[in-house]
Order: sequence, then structure tokens, then C-alpha cells
Amino acid sequence: MSPRNSAIQMTFLLAVVYLLMTGNFEPVNLAFSVIIGIGISSLVRPQHLSIQWRRLPIALAAIAGYLIFLLADLWKSSIQVGRILLDPRLPIKPGIIHIDSGCESELAIALSAHAISITPGELIVEMDHRGQMYAHCLDSSQAEELIAEAQEVRRNLLSKIFE
Amino acid sequence: MTGPFNFIVWGALIVHIGMVLVCVWRVWRGENIIDRLIGLDVTTTLTLAILVLIAILEENSLFIDVALGLTTLSAIASVALAKYVADQRMF
Amino acid sequence: MYPISQIIGSLFLILGTAFSMLGILGMLRLPDVYTRLHATGKVSSLGAVFLLAAAIFLTPLSVGKGLVLIGLLLLATPAVSHAIASAAYRIGIPIKAGQRDDLRTRLPKIKPHE
Repeated sequence: MSPRNSAIQMTFLLAVVYLLMTGNFEPVNLAFSVIIGIGISSLVRPQHLSIQWRRLPIALAAIAGYLIFLLADLWKSSIQVGRILLDPRLPIKPGIIHIDSGCESELAIALSAHAISITPGELIVEMDHRGQMYAHCLDSSQAEELIAEAQEVRRNLLSKIFE
Repeated sequence: MTGPFNFIVWGALIVHIGMVLVCVWRVWRGENIIDRLIGLDVTTTLTLAILVLIAILEENSLFIDVALGLTTLSAIASVALAKYVADQRMF
Repeated sequence: MYPISQIIGSLFLILGTAFSMLGILGMLRLPDVYTRLHATGKVSSLGAVFLLAAAIFLTPLSVGKGLVLIGLLLLATPAVSHAIASAAYRIGIPIKAGQRDDLRTRLPKIKPHE
């Protein structure tokens, strides 16, 4: 994809965010949002973001499913951490475990690291561009298969977004 | 607005101010520098929460614009400070 | 007698305050830096997000701005947590009561600061 195309995409995204923030859809504000988007995307180098317009609805549905999965995960693990904190014996077994995110593209690796970090109970300490992640866990005694299984679920959801 | 609703908002505000005091104590008497950094990060998040509560009390969404700027700046500042602590230089 | 939006907003408010209190309690109780980061991540993710959701119901705030703020908070919080945890590991802060450490074999060159 040419750099001009990705600049246009970035301008569009920035304009949408600006319009959502101001909540004002008059023509003057629309024009102003486009001007701001062009200004910002000429200042930074636009990132390569390959959008295929034909399978955009599928990707959007996959993104919605991923967000719901993320929120459910956040809620579940928050309750779990809260139970640990309110326990007077404080039953934690901390440790750093290795997780292999089976993703290739950098955006997918970053998103799966984000999904792991946003749920309390696991926290990425170190990661590299080959997809090897090292997560600090409150309960590091759980079996390797369990962790690999959770990562497999995450990877399936992400691969639906990125085809 | 009166009655139990007002009571809930004021109670939440007082609880949040108490939590900010705990965090400031943590920044003052931390075990190490990372501990103080965590205290600072939580303090800014709780300040965001207090701004939201004031906006609810005053029924004025102007305070939430301030909260937006505060969140952006505090996130960038926390990342920059953590990088400074790790590398002992800024850039 | 009360409008329904006020009741939902109050519910979100109580929930957010409870999660923030849980996070501060964790910050005081947990033994070392890494575990404290788990607790404080909860304050900034769930506590503040629920308070913002309450503000959407209770103030004349436009829903778009509230959603942008919630998205920004959910996007930035894990990055900040990761930056602080990585800095802690790089300056060699030990893991208390650690059961295992897979990273130690991978990054053997990192030593505590002199």
C-alpha cells in the first residue's frame, strides 16, 4: 500500500475521533476535523495499516467479539484478584512465565500483549518482536497447558480480525 | 438533586480524597523508586476520578475535558519517567 | 420517584469506588513492586472506567467524548503498567516469594544498578 493511502486512512481515523470528542457534526466542524487530521498525519510518519474493504464487515464483527471477550475477561479476573486481596492469608504464588504468542504481525503481537496486560492477574514484563512474551502472574503454579490454551483462544480471535 | 443520591456522591468524593492521601504517603515513604512511580501513577488516576465526581456534583461536563488532558499527559509522563529510570537517560 | 438514569449512574458510581478501594488495599497489602502493579492496574482500569460510565449517565456529557476517554484509558493503562514493570526488572528489583522466573535465563546480562 502506498504511503499516500495510509495517510488518507490516518486522516480519516483522526477526523472520526475528533468528531466523536466534540460531538458536533456541523459542516464547519467537519471541515476543521479534516484539516486537523491532515496536519497531524503530515507531521508523523503514517503507519502501514492494511484494510481490505471487501472483508471489512467480517473484521468489524470480529473486533466487536474481541472487545466483548476482553470485557468479560477483565470482569472475571478482577473478581478473582479481589477475592485474593480480601483473603486474610493472601494466597499468591508470583512468578514470571514464558508465553509464546503464535502471531506474526507486530500489531497482532502488541494487541495480544495488551489483552494479557489489561486483565489484572497477568502483566507483560518483557516482549520482543518475534512474539515471545514474559508475563508476571499472581498465580504462576497453573499448568502450562492452561496458559497455552488461553493464548490459543486469544490468537484465534485476533486472527479473525487480521484474516 | 437531594437525598441519598447526593449522599452517595459526597461519600465517594471523601473516599477518593482519602485514597489520594494514601498514595501521596506512598510517594513520600516508598520502598524504592518504582514504588514511588506507582504511587504517582495512581495519584493521577485518582485525580481523574475526583474531577469526574466534581463534574457530577456540579452537573457540568467542563471538568471532564480537563480530565481528558490530565489522562493523556499523565500516561505519557509515566512512560517517560519509567524509561528514564530504566535507562538513566531520557532519549 | 427517581429517574432511571440516576439509579443506574449511582450503581456505576458505587461499583467504581469499590474497585478503586480494592486496588488501594492491594497496593498496601501486597509484598513487592510487580504484584502491586496488578492491584493498581485495577484502580485505573475498572475504577475510573466505571466512574466515567456514571458520568455519561449523570452529566450532560456527550456519549462520544465519554467513550473516547474510556477507550483512551483502557488503551494507555496496560502500556504504563508494562513500562513500569519493565523498568523495575531492568534495574534489578527482586521478586519476593517468586516461584519461577523464566526471564532470568533469557536476559542474564541485566544486573542490578551499581
